[in-house]
Order: sequence, then structure tokens, then C-alpha cells
Amino acid sequence: MPEIQFTIDSASGELQLHLKGIAGPACDDVAKLAKELLGQPAAEQTTAEYHLRTQVRPQVQTRRS
Amino acid sequence: MSKYLTFPDVTFKDRRLLLAALTDIGFAIVEEGKALPLYGYQGDRRPETAEIVLRRQHVGRASNDVGFARTPDGYVPIVSEFDRRTLLNGAFLTRLRTAYSEQVVQEVRRRVHGTAIRRVEGQTIQITVRY
Repeated sequence: MPEIQFTIDSASGELQLHLKGIAGPACDDVAKLAKELLGQPAAEQTTAEYHLRTQVRPQVQTRRS
Repeated sequence: MSKYLTFPDVTFKDRRLLLAALTDIGFAIVEEGKALPLYGYQGDRRPETAEIVLRRQHVGRASNDVGFARTPDGYVPIVSEFDRRTLLNGAFLTRLRTAYSEQVVQEVRRRVHGTAIRRVEGQTIQITVRY
């Protein structure tokens, strides 16, 4: 299940955002929404999961008569 | 984990969330307009103007007006040095940023139709939104 983890430091008000379980460009939609509300982040880092692409494998069923 | 973003700036991008955050920290009465003048505690007009203003009578006895000027990057606070030191015991901007961040979380939760779990550990507020 995709999740967004927000961490707010109440001593400084700084917000950090982790997007988890959202592979590929779908992640950008949430990041875009965050930027729309918060402005440009000072730091932005994509991780290995970001580069995963959904793979579709054709399924072949053989029928025995 | 696929993306990691950090937002440290004291600029408030969204007007509606800024107003909600101000209400959350006890400043519900604001004046809105274009290039509104700001006044000091003695009624002297200050050189700055702002689009959102907390008038000094709603801020504190010895306070100056607090303004938020609209810029292409969002609303930038205009707070006198005195008010930075004294308003909410010197924590006005920090508490506003925290309240704004919490409003952002709720807005994201609403838009993704998710559920939120909130946890507080010391000075850290952790909110997980699942959808």
C-alpha cells in the first residue's frame, strides 16, 4: 500500500516528506502536489524504487483436450 | 522509499492553508487586500505593504502589524524584530510553520483520499498517510 510519511520538526517547523511504495512516475504526482502546497524543496532525492517500472508479462494458457 | 523532499523555507505557498494555520495558532482575524499598508505599534506607517495583515490590536499590546506579502514563490512573512522576539514567546514563525505543515498534510490526505496516523515523539510529529 502506498504511503506518504511526513515528519515535522516542531522546534524549527521544518517538514520532511518520504514517499514510500510508489514506484516510477506515479510518485511525481504526489511530489507535484507537495510542491504546489510547499514550494520548491531544498533537497530532493530519488531512490532505487523510483526507477522501477511495472513489468507486464503476457500469460499463455495451454488447454489440454 | 522512492522520493525524499525537504522544505525548510519560511514561505507559505497556499493562501487558504496559511489562513487556516494562522487560525490554528490563535490569529483568526486577518485583513486581506492588495498592498495593504503596515503600521507600527505607535501608529506609524511602515514602508512595507502586504496582502494578508494581522493588525497590531489583534496581535499584542506593544506589537506591530504582522504582514504576509505575496510573491511568485508564495506569501513571505513581514515581522518586526521586536515581534520575532516576543510574539508567542519568540516562537511565532516556528509555530506558524508547524501549523502550516500540518495543514499541508491534511490537504494531501484529502486529495489522495487517504487515512492518516499521527504520532508525536518529543519535538517530532510524524504523520503517515496511506491510500
